[in-house]
Amino acid sequence: MPRLILDDPDQTLEMLRDSVATLAERVDGAEVFRSRRARDAELDRDLWSEMATAGWLGLLLPESMGGSELGAGELTVLAEAFGRALITEPFAALAVLPGRILANIGGAAAGEIATGIADGSRIVPFLWQDTRGARAPMTLSAEGTLSGQVDLVTAAYAATDYLVLCKQDGELALVHLPARSERFSLSSRPGLDAAMIGQVTAKGVSVDAGSILARGATLDAALSDAIEMTRLALAAELAGVGAKALEETVAYTKERVQFGKPIASFQVIQHRLVDMWGDAEFACAAVTNAVEMMRDATPEEAGQSVLAAKARAGDSAVTITRRAIHLHGAMGFTDECNIGLYNKRAITLNAALGQAEELRLEFLARETAA
Amino acid sequence: MTQERDWNALSDDEFRVIFREWVDANCPEHLRFMRKQRPTFDEVAEWYHALNDKGWLSPVWPVEYGGMGLDAGKHIVYVEEWARLGCPRIPDHGIGLTGPLLIEHGTEAQKAEFLPKILTGEHVWCQGYSEPGAGSDLASLRTQAVRDGDDFIINGQKIWTTLAHCANWILLLVRTTNSDKRQHGITVILVELSSPGVLVRPIKNLREEEDFCEVFFENVRVPAKNVVGDVDAGWALAKTVLGHERIFLGAPSRPEYALTRLEILAKDRGAFEDAAFRSRFAKLRLDLYDLGSAFERFAKVLREGGTLGADVSVLKIFCSELYQRITEEMLTVAGEEARFYDDLMVGDRGIDAMNLYLDSRAPAIFGGSNEIQRTILAKAVLGLPSG
Ligand SMILES: Cc1cc2nc3c(=O)[nH]c(=O)nc-3n(C[C@H](O)[C@H](O)[C@H](O)COP(=O)(O)OP(=O)(O)OC[C@H]3O[C@@H](n4cnc5c(N)ncnc54)[C@H](O)[C@@H]3O)c2cc1C
Repeated sequence: MPRLILDDPDQTLEMLRDSVATLAERVDGAEVFRSRRARDAELDRDLWSEMATAGWLGLLLPESMGGSELGAGELTVLAEAFGRALITEPFAALAVLPGRILANIGGAAAGEIATGIADGSRIVPFLWQDTRGARAPMTLSAEGTLSGQVDLVTAAYAATDYLVLCKQDGELALVHLPARSERFSLSSRPGLDAAMIGQVTAKGVSVDAGSILARGATLDAALSDAIEMTRLALAAELAGVGAKALEETVAYTKERVQFGKPIASFQVIQHRLVDMWGDAEFACAAVTNAVEMMRDATPEEAGQSVLAAKARAGDSAVTITRRAIHLHGAMGFTDECNIGLYNKRAITLNAALGQAEELRLEFLARETAA
Repeated sequence: MTQERDWNALSDDEFRVIFREWVDANCPEHLRFMRKQRPTFDEVAEWYHALNDKGWLSPVWPVEYGGMGLDAGKHIVYVEEWARLGCPRIPDHGIGLTGPLLIEHGTEAQKAEFLPKILTGEHVWCQGYSEPGAGSDLASLRTQAVRDGDDFIINGQKIWTTLAHCANWILLLVRTTNSDKRQHGITVILVELSSPGVLVRPIKNLREEEDFCEVFFENVRVPAKNVVGDVDAGWALAKTVLGHERIFLGAPSRPEYALTRLEILAKDRGAFEDAAFRSRFAKLRLDLYDLGSAFERFAKVLREGGTLGADVSVLKIFCSELYQRITEEMLTVAGEEARFYDDLMVGDRGIDAMNLYLDSRAPAIFGGSNEIQRTILAKAVLGLPSG
């Protein structure tokens, strides 16, 4: 069945897969999903701590920042395994994205925050988007007060720290602030994948000069790279979600008997399943390609491969899981059946950091410009 | 019973105007365009009773039983205006299923006992056909009824019974004889849900609403007089009751509503500035337009007094799949906002994109899944050989 196929000379990747599988034996991702939803929670603290203890949250970070200094191969294998096990904690948004930004910026202040992300003591969402996902830097006045509003914030309430994208004098800046300032007002709405999505408003929060971690071109480069790496993680997780939903559906349709036969024996269902399998294969191939391009090719080529992978894996996971619901019949239309949760997770991950069409157009634009 | 007037003597257009005016004036505003596809009886009781007081609750039952006695053409008008004005779906298994079945096949005693109580809402019905092992293959149903004196004793389980937890009667298909020909030996029987031994357990759907249920039967004693038609001959009854109403499985109202939501969202989000979106929207718009034409083609048959063939299933397939394609496009237009479970805001108005997307999964499954419909069309219309 479709999965990432990467060189694994010292078995690190296999070990990572095994460790997620071991966790998944104890922790039922679908149950965590439902209980998190029932509590209107942003993440599951216990599971998050376990992920920190396992060393997953700091996977990419340099050792000096408490990380394991592993690369894109390990990242994708881990994210794929989360996708398969329906471990839906905000790994991409709270580990990969802020961790990578901080690692790219470097320095003592960034290092201290990143270390906290890796060991699970700090929850540090990046505040940078409006409701529709566009960049929405807050305004930092010359006197050092911060104002503005952002949305799509992961763990707005549970956060210990915020990384805030802002503009000062027309220049981008990244500010680090404790999340507990009274100057922030918060609200949240339920997300489709059972995590609350926050909105954060700042009205004149004072920022001292020491809290500005990076500016201008340095920051821009740090962000672009971090977004690329996060998209890769999302793509891998989507590939895992799609592949697992396919497997579940193959298993279900082989078991489910109607008209005296397993429904998987009907040719129309076989063809549908084969198409789903093809989608899953292509998603895994696209993610594998991106990992290899990151290792072997130019940054431009690697960038293209990530856009392609996220677009392919997003489309594929959404389509597979949607068809999977249908092939489960009325069972698929229930909340009790996990297949619907895979569809909800796929839609959510597909929506994050650009849906397929947007990414494809970006691919084309970059290719034309090159 | 007397009737306000002979509706069938009017032209369809005259009837449309009269019907629309009254419904628009009397269907409560807060029940229009409800988010929920299947509101419970209590949620829409005032509308149910208002319709009954007016004598308009039951469009096709003959006048003598308290219906409007509409011909198929007027019935289509009724359904179209209902949808256009956004009236809520009422728990309609009594009106649409049990009622017609009894009118056609019931005894005089059954008609006298049950029909008036459907109209008053005293009896709220649900449909107990599907079982865990009998979905698409309904004839494999196993819930068993064994004769015991004047009663039958029922054991078994039904599932996916829409609104069973809000109903007090269930129209049940049970097995009374095990026979090699599985369609033989099935019986229709009317069961009160408060009977000892009945247990109803609601199931949450993808939208986390409890709108269908499991219904368990353990030694449930039901008087034999509740059998409809002949024992062992229920299959044909269950299959014929839909009649011309099969056309409504393909009525464009769901995709039509979804397309208006897509349009509002897309306008607000600037999607129409994008040529690729415009082109996709145009395709959906014309698919809807053409669904209207195809619907008309079948409606015309009915208006002219004809009967529908198996080919009408093409509407159900096209309609349910169009509904899905529209809601999927909504999630594309939503961009990063497709992560929200709740409505998307356009000004202070909510667009229930996710609600519609999730809802659109169901019509391709129920009422005979689209694969089953295609198989019927292949055999009955194209005359293709069996595998
Ligand atoms: C919202 C909702 C409300 C419902 N309400 C009621 C109700 O009130 N009362 C009631 O009795 N039932 C109700 N049903 C049940 C409905 O009738 C069944 O879901 C339907 O008959 C399909 O059966 P199943 O769910 O067991 O799917 P299955 O029959 O198990 O089918 C699973 C998948 O296999 C496909 N398949 C099955 N057989 C074939 C074949 N021969 N060839 C190709 N593909 C095939 C199907 O299309 C489907 O995709 C409801 C269902 C839903 C979703």
